[in-house]
Amino acid sequence: MIDKITLRRLLPQVFRGSEAEPPVCGSEVWVRDDVTFARPTSYIIEAESGTGKSSLCSFIYGARTDYDGEILFDGTPVRGYSIERWCELRREALAYLPQEMRLFAELSVMDNIMVKNRLTSYRTECEILDLLDRLELRHKADVPAGRLSVGQQQRVAIIRALCQPFDFLLVDEPVSHLDARNNSAVAALITEEAARRNASIIATSVGNKLSLNEYNLLKL
Amino acid sequence: MLRRNISAGQIAGYAVANLVGLLIVLTAIQFYRDVTSVSEAKDSFISSDYIIISKRVTGLGLGDMFGGGGGGDATTFTQAERADIASQPWAAETGEFTAADFNVSARVDMAGSSLSTALFLESIPDEFFDISPAGWDYSPGSSKPVPVIISKDYLTLYNFGFAASRGMPQISEELIGLLPLRLNLSGNGHQQWVDARIVGFSSRLNTIAVPADFMAWANSTFGEGSDADPSRLIIRLRQAGDPAATAYMEEHGYEIAGDKASGGKAAYFLSVVTSVVVAIGVIISVLAFFILLLSIYLLLQKNRAKIHDLMLLGYTPARVAGYYRSIVLWVNVGVLVLAVGGVAAASAMWHERIAALGAEGASIIPTILIGAAIILVITLGNVIAINRNVRGAFRG
Repeated sequence: MIDKITLRRLLPQVFRGSEAEPPVCGSEVWVRDDVTFARPTSYIIEAESGTGKSSLCSFIYGARTDYDGEILFDGTPVRGYSIERWCELRREALAYLPQEMRLFAELSVMDNIMVKNRLTSYRTECEILDLLDRLELRHKADVPAGRLSVGQQQRVAIIRALCQPFDFLLVDEPVSHLDARNNSAVAALITEEAARRNASIIATSVGNKLSLNEYNLLKL
Repeated sequence: MLRRNISAGQIAGYAVANLVGLLIVLTAIQFYRDVTSVSEAKDSFISSDYIIISKRVTGLGLGDMFGGGGGGDATTFTQAERADIASQPWAAETGEFTAADFNVSARVDMAGSSLSTALFLESIPDEFFDISPAGWDYSPGSSKPVPVIISKDYLTLYNFGFAASRGMPQISEELIGLLPLRLNLSGNGHQQWVDARIVGFSSRLNTIAVPADFMAWANSTFGEGSDADPSRLIIRLRQAGDPAATAYMEEHGYEIAGDKASGGKAAYFLSVVTSVVVAIGVIISVLAFFILLLSIYLLLQKNRAKIHDLMLLGYTPARVAGYYRSIVLWVNVGVLVLAVGGVAAASAMWHERIAALGAEGASIIPTILIGAAIILVITLGNVIAINRNVRGAFRG
């Protein structure tokens, strides 16, 4: 269980030395003394391309460590976490939708989702089919993920991310390839799932924001 | 999913290479063990870790200026020489031939006529005998006959040399054991008759041997008290036919009795050949090990992105590595089973031939254990490599 994620003077190492220049100087996240994401508030981090949104998500998710400063989960620095601890968090506390989706192209849509679900045993196959139905993808269940359009892949990856318990859902530009109708369908689904888990959504966006009703907006 | 990227060709290549290596190693070991089971049997041509040495008797006995040392006879071993031999690295154990320090004559009563001859007796520590006949002990004063072991060569000499030419009856080993033998011991002002019986024939010892206890008693009773140095030594070698021992004997002018040394050379040659073959097998196995290691590295490198993605989903390194580990494990177990099967088949093929030499063949179990140990080491090496690689993929 994680209740609070705190960023302390966090800065990607690529920005080292340019603290006084844009984009770092105007940022509400980088090198701030105390940026806190607390459950169950939702956040949207808005930024231009190249300011380090995906890096931020990777840092919080433990996939990258090339940053200065500290990230704390409930006050504990995460730098010392073992690989096994990270894997456990990724099964139980942190869900993540990477910007590039990272679906396995040769596996079918269903198998892609099952790769995650088998690990967590969070949903039945029926429930997954219902979720696919809801995002209008049921007829694609047996199609290899590589053959889907980017927008469809995005929705598959979102469903996969929802097949686990979580306290924080990191979604990196979840709707960049979706039209307004799909955006609201996805937003409704995510909000509903987060509410059920009493969890936070942390979404990034370059412009096409996830249509959440209530959220804190941070400028990166 | 990971299975799709595994090259069956690479795995098969590894399996074949490792199979060949392991097969060579295990076959050589089994062959060596089978053949040496011949030499563990009594009287075999390869038995040979025992040698008997004496000094060379020179023509005149006059010019022998060296070797005698401090006043002893030129053909006996002094205390210092014995200590030097015992301290050599190839000598596992040395024993002395204790000669009788009294006069002995033997009489055989056979069918009314009697046969009498002057005789000599020697004794060596019991552990150097190649046979251990029943009743090989003596306690002074007991009325039991003194057990005697004689060289097999003597019986052969009698049966095929003496008896054949003189028209005397030939005697079997069993029959000679029934002969009542009487020994007349004299010296130091005493004289006594004792009963004796031949209880065994040795092909290692070229002598007439009595138990050490009897010799000690008789020497103290009939001996003149001259504490003679032994003229012959028996040595158990650490390794049969060790050339270092032969070289030492030549250097010091000692003679090795009989043809035991040539049997020893055969054993030595066999062990050298076996070592070479085992070494070749080990090299092939090591190469196969590296082939597998390389193909695992290639495989993991190729799948690095996928493995990273799996870990982003929360798969632990142990779980991902488990898949590769199980492949390696099954391939290795398969290789072991095939190799053991191959060795068993090969062993069956040569079994008949070496059976003709008197070897019943050694058990295959130790060979299987050695093979299992090799596979275990290889598997462990592979598993460690896999684990390190998979964990390395965690950070992408």
